[in-house]
Amino acid sequence: MAQFLHWAVVVLLAIQIPLGKIAHELPVGLERLAMMSRHKSVGITILALALLRLAWRWFERPPAPPPMPRWQAIASRLNHGALYLLLFALPLSGWLMSSAAARPVSWFGLVQLPDFVAPDPGLKEVFEEVHEVLVNVLLALVILHVAAALKHQFIDRDGLLFRMLPGRRT
Amino acid sequence: MLRAFALALAIVPAAAHADVLQAGPSGGRLEFVALQAGAKFTGEFRRFHAELDLDPRRPDEGRLDVTVEVASLDTRDPERDEILRGPDFFQTDEHPQAVFHAGRFERAGEGWRAPGELSIRGITQPVPVTFTLVAGAGQSIMKGSARLSRLAFGIGRGEWASTEWVGDEVDVRFELRLQPAG
Repeated sequence: MAQFLHWAVVVLLAIQIPLGKIAHELPVGLERLAMMSRHKSVGITILALALLRLAWRWFERPPAPPPMPRWQAIASRLNHGALYLLLFALPLSGWLMSSAAARPVSWFGLVQLPDFVAPDPGLKEVFEEVHEVLVNVLLALVILHVAAALKHQFIDRDGLLFRMLPGRRT
Repeated sequence: MLRAFALALAIVPAAAHADVLQAGPSGGRLEFVALQAGAKFTGEFRRFHAELDLDPRRPDEGRLDVTVEVASLDTRDPERDEILRGPDFFQTDEHPQAVFHAGRFERAGEGWRAPGELSIRGITQPVPVTFTLVAGAGQSIMKGSARLSRLAFGIGRGEWASTEWVGDEVDVRFELRLQPAG
């Protein structure tokens, strides 16, 4: 389950980030509206999966990491914590941005989400800035995460990567 | 009309019609709710004028007239407002006003139904408006709604004629504080 959720979020992020960038670049019009609303729907899906994944950690604790230097263990914990945090903070900042822009969020046209802030152009600018900064932080931390995983696989050869394979029991 | 004229002559020679109630922009709210990308959003018209002449004993002889300055629309999203004022939607430079007129009323439950005609962008369509009217001290509260199809008025052209991302149905609702016309 944890593995499935991990890779589902990876696939969705691979769609979500380009989708957001493309939608952002488009001129105002129907196509932008369509792309942006898909971006919002995928974002809410990621938020739901991140919540599910955090809840799952309570039922099925992740196995202990392989032996490694103390600084690496700390860095790993920090990076994982930050990645989780971003999986919440990115969709939430986008959601708040939408509400502040008076463009409420609908999940694939099926459910309309509530607005936690009233329309406010100044607030919209703030959340937009936060959203953009956070996506760049996410990209940097993902690169670090992948680099660390590859190091475990090909330099340490401790088999850490195998336990994240989908369908594999921990 | 003859009745109104006779009444005016007999009682208040200066006024055209003594029973007319009216509300301007500061006298309430005129809102619309539409669906964009599956989510409802609300906008309002900030400049409008409404006149109601409704004698419950003679509902066939009354009238409801509402004139809306379309460019005063505000959906709290400047980008969307600009598109709505533009050529694909209201084209407010050529069609600055939307006008509703009903010449009679029917009872509808506790309130009224005004089977009138609405003109937007040069297109006139029958649109029934339902409302309640509660008389108070010095002013009457008129609260009601109407449902219309934006495409019936040619609102949304070109790519915007599609209802995939912008719904066809638009709900109009209003709450007016009507006062006797001067």
